[in-house]
Amino acid sequence: MQKLSWQMQLLISMVLGSVALSTLWPLFYVLVTSSRTLNDYLTNIYGIPKEFTFSNFQILWKNYSLGLAARNTIEVVGISMVCCLTLSSLAGFGLAKYPYRGSKYVNWAFIAIMLLPSTVLIIPIYLVLSKLHLVGHLPGLMIVYIATNIPFSVFFLRAAFKAVPDSILEAARIDGAGFFRTFRSIAMPSAKASFTTLAVLQFLGMWNELLYAYLILPDQSTRLLTPALANIGGRYTSNPPLVAAALVITATPTLVLLAFSSKYLVRGVTSGIGSS
Amino acid sequence: MHKTLEHVSESQSGAVPRSKRRKTSLTRQRERIGMLSSLPALIFVIALMFFPIGFATWLSFEKTNGVYYHFIGLKNYTALFSSPLVHQVFRTNLKFLIAIPVVITLGSLTSVLLYQEIYGWRFYRFVFFLPSVLSASVTGIIFRTAFTYDGPVNSALKIFGFQPINFLVHANSAIFVISLALIWAGFGYAMLILLSGLTAIDSDLFLAAQVDGAGWWRQFQYIVIPSIRNQLVFVTTINIMYTFTSLFGFIFVMTAGGPLFSTTTVDYLVFQKAFSSQDMGQGSALAILVFGIIALLTLTQAKYLRTDAQD
Repeated sequence: MQKLSWQMQLLISMVLGSVALSTLWPLFYVLVTSSRTLNDYLTNIYGIPKEFTFSNFQILWKNYSLGLAARNTIEVVGISMVCCLTLSSLAGFGLAKYPYRGSKYVNWAFIAIMLLPSTVLIIPIYLVLSKLHLVGHLPGLMIVYIATNIPFSVFFLRAAFKAVPDSILEAARIDGAGFFRTFRSIAMPSAKASFTTLAVLQFLGMWNELLYAYLILPDQSTRLLTPALANIGGRYTSNPPLVAAALVITATPTLVLLAFSSKYLVRGVTSGIGSS
Repeated sequence: MHKTLEHVSESQSGAVPRSKRRKTSLTRQRERIGMLSSLPALIFVIALMFFPIGFATWLSFEKTNGVYYHFIGLKNYTALFSSPLVHQVFRTNLKFLIAIPVVITLGSLTSVLLYQEIYGWRFYRFVFFLPSVLSASVTGIIFRTAFTYDGPVNSALKIFGFQPINFLVHANSAIFVISLALIWAGFGYAMLILLSGLTAIDSDLFLAAQVDGAGWWRQFQYIVIPSIRNQLVFVTTINIMYTFTSLFGFIFVMTAGGPLFSTTTVDYLVFQKAFSSQDMGQGSALAILVFGIIALLTLTQAKYLRTDAQD
């Protein structure tokens, strides 16, 4: 495309620079605020903090059991991801390389349900889970996360496994490798990049989820981070540093993940549409 | 002559079934493997996604609080269609659509600049996408904190000599702030999708246009926009769907639907009907309506997408 004149480039850089600033500054502001005392904050909300303190984090950890919420979140996200990735890669591999009568329809079913919004599911899922006495228990949320993440994951991994050449699989079969052996030693290594991409997307989706987490785990003892954050944010509006600290705790893992895996994330985000 | 041919074909037809039989047993085994490997995932999805759709449809004909059930036919739907609150909520949803043109415009302009590898483009790509990885609850609380009466935005307004505004207690200004949060959180995603469309453009097109004397703006108009048509359609529909289904997180932490339902969106109303007023039947009817809207949007999108033959 035609190069822009340097004056234009300068102007655009200034515009983009200010947009970038409007993105970064709020995050920086939250980070600074989280390490200020309330008094210090109230004297000048834009001021440079006179002293750095970790007291906000300590209060959240001790009095508002955010540590417990973090542990619950890690447990739910971790177990759900392992289960969902396992089930989806098995299904994706099966559908890609072992077609059976009706496998086309199974594939369609996963694609058709992919965009189903949680709005439609919350009431029936809540009623089913409460019948099964799973409301208020971590496994209840886990099975919801596993199920709702499966359709896209199967779709995504099926495409990745399709790209594995049949000749290699055939060679493995002749060498006596069974399904699991082929899956583990050939299919998975060749789809490693897609698998990582998917894992990153799933982590972000589950870690950031609020609606199911809020409905299915309402008790303090099993609460996850996002509902705990929403709760603190709603109740302590007069204590911005405390809220900021809760924001930092919830947001840091996702930002760290972005910093380390932006390559995979970009791939994952743009894979939703047939331009790859 | 005729006989020999018949003989040959007969001997062939005698050979075919044997090899066919062998093939079938192998194919059958492979079919079984395929079936078994996709079964667990399928069971999960049927139990927790397909079954609930049916269950919600059934609930939408019931009057229920989750304990007592009573069939009332279409009354939930007629109540929804005649409810002023539901009308208001849908109007509110439409208001939130104003964020979309902003997201698309910002997204396409920045993606073109990134495509041109403007100075510092890698940095911008990273920074603009940054808010996309944040939870709606995080973004929502950041914006609510920023726009409270004695928060940073009003402090800045006061420094510049303006009157502070009570953003979140008036309907339209609250919608404005929430839309701002949506744009802030959403345009990086649009940018990346559009960028992926741009990188697929044949660069010879631009050369040819330059030979013909087309400037930057004309190239943008006549090459870039038509080439990323699919991505534009996709981003637009995904954002419309998002507006009708995924504002819950933002509304929940920023305004809780208030003041007086003025920022209540459809998905938030489903949540409220079901879990605050214990009216799960009407909540389900509303959810089914949302489902219908989404299905319609998906089909419309499929019609406008120019799909290349993919498997």
